[in-house]
Amino acid sequence: MGARSRHARVVPTIKEISLIAELCVQCRPTKRGGYLVDPKDEKSAQAPKTGSKSAAAPLADTRWSSSGSGRRLAAITRKEFIQLARDRRTVALMVGMPLVLLIIFGYGIRLSVGNIVAELVGHDSPAIRVALGEQNHFKVLPTVAKSESAARKDLLDGRTSVAVIVGATGLPSSVLVDGSNAFVAQNSLDYLRSLTGSSAVQPVNVQVLYNPTLRSADFMVPSEVGMIMLWVGTVATAIGVVREREQGTLEQLMMTPIRKLELMLGKILPYSALTLVIAVVITILGLLLFQVPLRGNPLELLLFAVPYLVSALSIGLLVSTIAQNQRQAMQTTTFILLPQILLSGALFPLAAIPWGIRWVSQLLPLTYFTPISRDIFLKGLGFSELWPQVAVLCGMAVIFTSLATIFFKTRLD
Amino acid sequence: MSVDVAVEARAIVKSFAGMRALDTVDVEVTKGELCGIVGADGAGKTTLLRCVAGLYRVESGSVLPGRGRRNQVGFCPQGFHLYADLTVDENLEFFGLVYGLEKRTLAQRSEELLRFAGLAEHRSRLAGNLSGGMQQKLTLACSVLHRPPILLLDEPTTGVDPLSRREFWHLIEVLHADGTTIMMASAYFDEVERCEHVVFLHEGHVLADGSVDELTSGNNSLEEAFRQLMSESEAGPSNAEVTK
Repeated sequence: MGARSRHARVVPTIKEISLIAELCVQCRPTKRGGYLVDPKDEKSAQAPKTGSKSAAAPLADTRWSSSGSGRRLAAITRKEFIQLARDRRTVALMVGMPLVLLIIFGYGIRLSVGNIVAELVGHDSPAIRVALGEQNHFKVLPTVAKSESAARKDLLDGRTSVAVIVGATGLPSSVLVDGSNAFVAQNSLDYLRSLTGSSAVQPVNVQVLYNPTLRSADFMVPSEVGMIMLWVGTVATAIGVVREREQGTLEQLMMTPIRKLELMLGKILPYSALTLVIAVVITILGLLLFQVPLRGNPLELLLFAVPYLVSALSIGLLVSTIAQNQRQAMQTTTFILLPQILLSGALFPLAAIPWGIRWVSQLLPLTYFTPISRDIFLKGLGFSELWPQVAVLCGMAVIFTSLATIFFKTRLD
Repeated sequence: MSVDVAVEARAIVKSFAGMRALDTVDVEVTKGELCGIVGADGAGKTTLLRCVAGLYRVESGSVLPGRGRRNQVGFCPQGFHLYADLTVDENLEFFGLVYGLEKRTLAQRSEELLRFAGLAEHRSRLAGNLSGGMQQKLTLACSVLHRPPILLLDEPTTGVDPLSRREFWHLIEVLHADGTTIMMASAYFDEVERCEHVVFLHEGHVLADGSVDELTSGNNSLEEAFRQLMSESEAGPSNAEVTK
């Protein structure tokens, strides 16, 4: 640029000059000439001064010091805690949602189906009524359908789920089951088999261990601890980072010496603490509301939850590297969490998952935490039996945190 | 690169989705200089500052200080990008700690900067509840906590009332008087006229750069000079970059 040359600055007004002078007097003098610099601070100041005369590096290429790593991490963690404490709506959601889920899962979800509506067809049979009505598996309609077609109409309309066709002898000749709800149909078939086969099978002394009454709550609550920690932790972390991006504060952070790992850990630590507190609350409520037995060591449960939580939260961080806004973060998180809950064995047994996609289960942290939680709750197991799952979770925590750190961009493009 | 150069962009190119935001841009800012970059919306001012700050990777060309030397840069982005749910004090403390300042040093500098920016009375207010002008001053204070020798300001007074604009300019003048190299993007010609060095940026190209006197020669104002160069640039490439 040939025409460019130094030029006198626009002259400030007298008022401006006096204000500047006043400010300069207030501030301590330095070699740089004035504002704000305390000579004692020079040692700690990381930014080099202007005036370096090295032609090769007119502005010295000093890197940020790594010595302040712990302080930076503490600063981020503290900031997150302050923000969490002030964001009452989010905290209410984080605490309230697990409680609602606990009650829904604990009270609402039953693995055994009762009171399946059934009707007799053709002829009435008090013996069959009694057999079906035992243990409240079926609720038998007082009326009798006149024909099979009438029974099929009732099944089609959803008035009944099972129709037992009774012959003139009073014995059942065939049974129609509404298969549109596979869960109800499967339970109906199991009950019916037990009824029809009871006379042919020799009585066997069956003993159910760890959950003798086969209570759904005993099965569900330990799984819920893992599911809720996963949900809350992943969503909160993903949203936490994406919100920084949306609000532009990430751009400011990128100009500071914060390292990616510091930022990642700074996000993980506060949410881990909060999620652990929520897990403790859920466990206590599970014990009080549903009388679920906790036969193992609760401290071990808490300890083993740490690597699981770090894995879950790191998945949230990974989501934040993909999502550009909070809506995308929510959608991506749901997309990742739903398969976890369905394929981890928390709700459905792993054995029921086809081999083709069972490998997916092996990649999910919840797959390893669910048996830990269940076995501590119901079987009273400890580290000596559960260490393989704990080791896998520790490995996952390292891998997912590393991946999140690697994929996290420190530039805007 | 000369020993007296603080910021240097050499033939830098940056595109977004196939559109060139910066097309072979050359800019040089001398140490201690107050440089204003002026242009319409979409001219590439923010992109240029972000490239200089190392927030964008340039496709070709070279830029200093860039990412490797971001510790020498204070960046004041367009709009308010601090933590709205933290108080003024907490924002300063957070950024001071992540810049690695000792607590005692941080407390001193925060105190000085609060006084400097006229925010001492508002230190306990949430940053999100401050006026636009106060938010800009707080952003500036957080950007200079680590005393960077280079300060990049991206349209710092856009959307700010005239009085706050005037106060903000006082702060810039003080920083400049202290020897800080300042590179400021602005859409206001009256602001850029206060700079020693002005860069006209239009559609990713530098139309001209020089002192206000150099750029206004033959024109009544900087804006007129810019408009003339812009129409020449749009009329044909042969007339573009007349003063370059």
